[in-house]
Amino acid sequence: MSRLICPFCGPRELREFEFHKTLPNAGHTPFEQVYLRVDSLTLSVEHWQHIAGCRAWLHIERNPSTGEVLVCRLARSEGVS
Amino acid sequence: MTTRRKGARLSPETLGFTFDGRSYSAQVGDTAASALLAAGVRAMGRSVKYRRLRGVMTAGPEEPNALLTVGAKPANVPNVPATQLKLRDGLVLESQNRWPTLRFDLTALLKLGSAYFGAGFYYKTFIWPKWRFWEGLIRRLAGLGAAPGRSDLPAPSYEHTHCDVLVAGAGAAGLAAALAAARTGASVVLAEREPSVGGELEFETARVEGRSAGEWTCAALGELTRLGARVLTDTTLVAGSTGEMVLHTEPAGMPGSARLMKVRPQALVLATGAVERFMAFVDNDRPGVFLLGAAERYLARYGVAVGQRIVLFANHDRVYAAAARLAAGGLQIVAIVDTRVSGAVDAQSREIAADFAARGTLCLAGHAVFAALGGDAVTGALIGPTDGSAAAQTVRCDAIAVSGGWGPAIHAAVQEGGLKRYDETVSAFVAHDASQWRITAGSANGAMQLGVVLKQGVEAGVAAAKHAGHRGPLAAVPAASGDPAPHLEAYWRAPADERQEKNQFVDPQNDVTVADLRATLAEGFIDIEHVKRYTALGFGTDQAKLGGQLGAAIVAELRGETVPAVGTSRLRPPFHPVTLRSIAGHRFGAYLRPARVTPLHDWHVANGAVMEAMGLWMRPRFYLANGGNPTDAGIVEAGRVRTKGGIVDGSTLGKIEVAGPDAAAFLDAMYLSKASTIKVGRSKYMVNLREDGIVLDDGIVLRMAEDRFLATVSTGHADHMLSHFEHYRETEWSAARITLTDVTDAWAVIVVAGPESRAVLTSVLGSPWHDALAGLRHMDVTAGQHEGHDVTVLRASFSGELAFELHCRPVLAVGLWEALVGAGLAPYGLEALDILRLEKGYLVSSEMDGQTTPIDLGMGSLVALGNPCVGRALLDRPAFHESHRGRLVGVRSTDGKSPFLGGAQLTQDAVSAVPVGYITSSAYSPALGEWIGLALVARAVPEGNMLYVRDPLRGGDTTVKVVSPVHYDPKSERMKS
Ligand SMILES: [Zn+2]
Repeated sequence: MSRLICPFCGPRELREFEFHKTLPNAGHTPFEQVYLRVDSLTLSVEHWQHIAGCRAWLHIERNPSTGEVLVCRLARSEGVS
Repeated sequence: MTTRRKGARLSPETLGFTFDGRSYSAQVGDTAASALLAAGVRAMGRSVKYRRLRGVMTAGPEEPNALLTVGAKPANVPNVPATQLKLRDGLVLESQNRWPTLRFDLTALLKLGSAYFGAGFYYKTFIWPKWRFWEGLIRRLAGLGAAPGRSDLPAPSYEHTHCDVLVAGAGAAGLAAALAAARTGASVVLAEREPSVGGELEFETARVEGRSAGEWTCAALGELTRLGARVLTDTTLVAGSTGEMVLHTEPAGMPGSARLMKVRPQALVLATGAVERFMAFVDNDRPGVFLLGAAERYLARYGVAVGQRIVLFANHDRVYAAAARLAAGGLQIVAIVDTRVSGAVDAQSREIAADFAARGTLCLAGHAVFAALGGDAVTGALIGPTDGSAAAQTVRCDAIAVSGGWGPAIHAAVQEGGLKRYDETVSAFVAHDASQWRITAGSANGAMQLGVVLKQGVEAGVAAAKHAGHRGPLAAVPAASGDPAPHLEAYWRAPADERQEKNQFVDPQNDVTVADLRATLAEGFIDIEHVKRYTALGFGTDQAKLGGQLGAAIVAELRGETVPAVGTSRLRPPFHPVTLRSIAGHRFGAYLRPARVTPLHDWHVANGAVMEAMGLWMRPRFYLANGGNPTDAGIVEAGRVRTKGGIVDGSTLGKIEVAGPDAAAFLDAMYLSKASTIKVGRSKYMVNLREDGIVLDDGIVLRMAEDRFLATVSTGHADHMLSHFEHYRETEWSAARITLTDVTDAWAVIVVAGPESRAVLTSVLGSPWHDALAGLRHMDVTAGQHEGHDVTVLRASFSGELAFELHCRPVLAVGLWEALVGAGLAPYGLEALDILRLEKGYLVSSEMDGQTTPIDLGMGSLVALGNPCVGRALLDRPAFHESHRGRLVGVRSTDGKSPFLGGAQLTQDAVSAVPVGYITSSAYSPALGEWIGLALVARAVPEGNMLYVRDPLRGGDTTVKVVSPVHYDPKSERMKS
């Protein structure tokens, strides 16, 4: 995981991006939303921002054990029903 | 003048240098080690703990002993391995760890007491209060070399580059890999630690493709250059991280002046070779004990014989080929000591041994060197059978060359995320590669024969190029002949009784012996990482390249475990020492980070402002015209605002424009109180929460139009707040119609405060503004033009006085500022700004420390409104409402004059040790004529109580009274006047 492929900018160095948070399981109490994030050896779902680029907010799914990025897309699509 | 030496790296030209004050001559191409050895110098330093006299042992970065200081203080560079220091005319070199001189070292008297200096001695002995007694002595003795007094910064900045294939190591495997990759059309960077390519081909008796190894190397280099490959010598791969490799290039003879290079390859070939291993025997650290490969390298590269009568000690077949080459170079081989029984020795090796035996060399299979004999230098070797079947014998010699096998250099592979596995055929850990992008080849991969090494190199080069998207014709593996397979049998230490184990060195640089390992295990430090910390095995400049595996293997022996079960301690970057200077690169002083300046910056500087960095921004702290120090000037400046008025540059204020049909609803969710209730032309002081309910930031939100707001945020927070807003807009609010624009730089802000502020501002802006300003109520906003540019005026106050925020286009800033000064308002700086805020009980910044809720900060009534904003739900957590939680209060000295400082703890009385709170901000208030402060104090403590200020380290103990946070004008009559 040395690069991320920004949907706008293409493959860019990791240092251009800023990690924001690990996402919680959906649909629980506010307390669980904040404090009980998904903690898995093989899947981490995260929000990052392309802070030194186009400033897009990204939804990233990756394997923390291998560093493999499974999904990197705009976070925006989550909110659109 | 002695005769010129001939060696692969030498030119006939000579140069001069000094070592410990004596002058020596060398040839161009020499290292400090080769030149000193050629001059007959054996002792090059003393060991760090026992102060034993030490000589050079190796010919590479694994050198544990011969560490030199280059140059004189303050620009000295300590701990440069003599083996790595390419000489330049006029270099001044000093040995280390001795006082006053290398030969006559008073501190060596310590070795008389060495029985007490075993592992853990420091931890157990020099504890309080004894530490105090020993500290002076320990500080004189501790550490390697002396730190430089200054540095000639700035250092070169990093080079960032990329390529299809990066090949680390230009020995046989690396050259083959680079060639194979370059022939496919891939762009190749080839990095070689040494000043020339070839690796072991420099001395191995080998033929490749029908040519001598040297001719093949030359041809390969020529072809690489023609194909456009970038070949970097004197360049080491010092660190690998995911996808990014750090190379370290140091110009010859210029230690400490290295440049770092970060390379992003599509594929990586690690042909980093292997580091020869050592074996433990009694006094194996004496000057005159060398690695076998070092003896070969000194001869081949520099024409230096490490001794005249040499004993070879190994556990593999390579020693016989080496013996033949050393003998051809004029060294007398006194004995070849092979730990393997004769049945395990290769037939070809037995033939060589028979030849040597016929010429008087003692050839002993199933034997080991038990001890190096002598005092300041080796004068003999004690050799005996490994099974103890016969008595040991003494042979006279002046050097012992040891080879215990090779440890593949898998540092970068492991650092980059690879795993390691133990390979029984080479008795060593090799990289366990499943990665397509990172391929290990050659002896770094445990391959020990030239044919196999070249084959692995070619295959790695082709695979790496393919991974990078280049396919070429099927590459042929060059036909080659070289040294035979080593048939190594693991052997770690010669027999010794337990009493002698304190002289069986495992890690010479840290004076770690077998006895230390035994003691450490006996005390319960079993894990190899714990052993490392307790003994220092693997610390220091060489990071146990020489002795790390040896130490781990002996730990395995003492624990009755296998070597793979014990493992080795983590191979941390950098591979060899890198100066902090080269890591810093150009990022130093003014170049550390960019500075942001306001449109008024030049005016401030020209008018005696003392500037202070706030985040990236530069802001005036105070003006020298008002006093020589911040405290005095701050009092003058703040006092003047209250009596007359003043102006302060507020341009650094973060400004985010939030616009669109859904802007009001969006801001309702972002702030604790609602933005939608702000009328156009009005503004409101508002607070943001994090999702966990903690206060994130505060500021004034202005409603410029029905669908357009200007949110002002703290100076240091603007970038973060924009991201914060953007995050919600892009996730939960992604269906909403909102734009977010950072307009911080689009508006200069001049705060005009004080009783005369309205009159002066009106005179400066002129008659078109007269009515608007006259009718402006507290928190009203009005927009208009001045000299054809947009201006917004907000009536708001952080000083408690009648005050206006003048937002103007930057082009107007200096003109308006000078007009205001001309009309009688003097500028003030941050120091006064903070005093004024504090007097009025406004949050300064340390109150929003990432731990306080709005309830803590006295905004409980806003929370009670129940606006369902981000973070609101978690404010109902019971823990946020407990009585020991802090709430914001004011504090004042009880005697009306004693100062107290932010950060001081508050207790109930002078006896109690349990804090009930702490002071967040404090200042001398010119308005009140005494010290005032804000504090977070447990809710249970009522106003009016006295608290004890505990500040022993700053001598600030005193008492304070808990009061309302609003020290000045509690009814805000002045500000609303
Ligand atoms: Zn982008």
